[in-house]
Amino acid sequence: MSRRTGPGSAALIRLVAVREIAARIRDKNFIISSAVILVLILGSLGLQVALNSGGEESRIGVVDGPAGIEQALEQQGEALDVDVTVGEVADRSAAERAVTDGDVDGVLVAGADPELLVEQSAGGSLEALVRGAVTQLALTEQLTEAGVTALDVPDVAVTPLDPDADADTQRVVVALIGAALLYGLLILFGQFVAQGVVEEKASRVVELLLATMRPWQLLAGKIIGLGVLGFAQVVLIAVVGVAGAIAFDVVDVPGEVIGTAVSVVLWFVLAYAFYAAVFAVAGSLVSRQEDLGTVVMPTTMALVVALLFGVQAAGDPDGTLATVTSFVPGLSPLVMPVRQAAGEVAAWEVGLSAVLMLAAIVAIVRVGGRIYAGALLRTGGKTKLREALRAERV
Amino acid sequence: MLEFDGLHKSFGDVRVLEGVGFTVAPGSMFGFCGSNGAGKTTTMRIAMGLVRPDAGEVRWQGRPLDQATRVRIGYMPEERGLYPKMKVGEQITYFARLHGLDAAAAARASDEWVERLGLAARRGDQVEKLSLGNQQRVQLAAALVSRPEVLILDEPFSGLDPVGVDSLADALLAQVREGVPVVFSSHQLDLVERLCDSVGILARGRMVATGTVEELRRREAGRLLRVVVPDAPSGWAGTLPGVRVVSESAGDTLLDLTGGGDDQAVLAAGLRTGRVTHFAWQQPTLVELFREAVATPTPQEVAA
Repeated sequence: MSRRTGPGSAALIRLVAVREIAARIRDKNFIISSAVILVLILGSLGLQVALNSGGEESRIGVVDGPAGIEQALEQQGEALDVDVTVGEVADRSAAERAVTDGDVDGVLVAGADPELLVEQSAGGSLEALVRGAVTQLALTEQLTEAGVTALDVPDVAVTPLDPDADADTQRVVVALIGAALLYGLLILFGQFVAQGVVEEKASRVVELLLATMRPWQLLAGKIIGLGVLGFAQVVLIAVVGVAGAIAFDVVDVPGEVIGTAVSVVLWFVLAYAFYAAVFAVAGSLVSRQEDLGTVVMPTTMALVVALLFGVQAAGDPDGTLATVTSFVPGLSPLVMPVRQAAGEVAAWEVGLSAVLMLAAIVAIVRVGGRIYAGALLRTGGKTKLREALRAERV
Repeated sequence: MLEFDGLHKSFGDVRVLEGVGFTVAPGSMFGFCGSNGAGKTTTMRIAMGLVRPDAGEVRWQGRPLDQATRVRIGYMPEERGLYPKMKVGEQITYFARLHGLDAAAAARASDEWVERLGLAARRGDQVEKLSLGNQQRVQLAAALVSRPEVLILDEPFSGLDPVGVDSLADALLAQVREGVPVVFSSHQLDLVERLCDSVGILARGRMVATGTVEELRRREAGRLLRVVVPDAPSGWAGTLPGVRVVSESAGDTLLDLTGGGDDQAVLAAGLRTGRVTHFAWQQPTLVELFREAVATPTPQEVAA
């Protein structure tokens, strides 16, 4: 007979991880949730584009316009931040038709007594625009007649006090979207982990699994497998989101936004490792999917709190609260990227926060692994944390 | 040899196992009997590393079982367990891989067992869509797919219809013929009697009897003699030396000869009363042996 010694730890973990991925990508819920997230991202991008291009537009027709009226109208439009299109109209009756048909917003009938034809009222800045152009033209004409050709007008220099303000805002917005996304994905994948653990307990397949591997190998395989999927999803979303934002011109400073997106993705890795372990432990305490809600509730609440701190940090990135919470393991992944985006965080702060988070992960995996191992073979009802900790580990 | 040696286990104050030990030879089937809660499942879980014994060990080929050697054991837990949403073929392949087969060998073995257990048509179905009987077959396939050197099965026959029982029995006998030691627990003693080369009866955390069914019978058989003498008067055997009358009704007499009575003297006394229509040592069924063994502590149990 063969002298098989069985797969090593790495091989076992890989087998478990591959099974998790295979089972999940065929799961309708997973496919739907992934599609929904992508649609939401693309939808919000589309909305941004629509809003951004929402600057005022004006189509103005001109009858018998004097030379230069077109340029004058466009100059006025620029000053008033209105996109002006000027077109020639043959005569007054054509002008009236154009206005009633809605081809143009208004028609300037030039002459000694210029007239602005509009359908109902000269809405927005149309009137100011036309008046300005006509006045400017008249002024220039009269000045020329009076022999003044060159007018010495002092130029006003503009000195920006906070040239990065816009970029900062954009990064904070991206970081906030990122934090919200992290929150959503952590809850989603945390639930997947917990459900997977309960499924194995409820179906009793765990006894068969533990006859071939140690509990930590099963736990590691499950977390890594789902983690790979979660990571792929977060990267996909980040790439689609950032690429879309740049392509649609929603953001002005692509480099900064990419940096923020990368830091969000990296924080996802830390946060996932932490929360997946917690969710797995929670799942191991119950034997039926119906009981899962109550045991994962505290963890879900912790994530809600973390997101709230993240939002708070966006408003006041230098405040004491934001600074403190950006170091607290578990909260930091949703707070630190927001603070980082606001741009006032030293590298050592980020490093310290990440180290604290790593230490917390090590602790939770050790303690959690014990609870998980102690609770796995206890079926029926809910296992208390203390019981699971005291239970022998097989 | 598969050796269970001196297993002790307590859960809190409850002492579940107090020195359980027995041996199963390669190519033989061992029936593990005992009342509910006697400790059969705990014993098997210890062998599979799911419960840690307080003392004692389980050895295969002279070496204590560990995680590396347990991959060569096929196991069926009492609580059946499969991934409900995983497809039959993939599930069996997965368990083959967990037991150390490489991808190609696992796929081949999975196909083979799916075929052998008549599940070919359901290969691509999720396990939860199968009938209970078919799920049981998948469970068996999961235990057998890795060509195990040892089989440990906890209540493999429970919940099977008679046809299912027969096909499982055939599958196990085929394994035994290939030299695999098979241990299974069961409440169906007639089945144990029919299939097993040897039997162990577990009661109150100890083995109260082990051996072949024949040996157990012989041990009991030295004691009870059944004589049917239709014409004999009541109390015909009461005066014979070393003989105790256990029961007597219309000449059908059950006698206990443990006191040193002579069976030939009993026969002679019977013939003196007239016809003797039946004279034989009582062959206890396994059920009777089981009742006897489980009911009262035997001297050897006290000694153990």
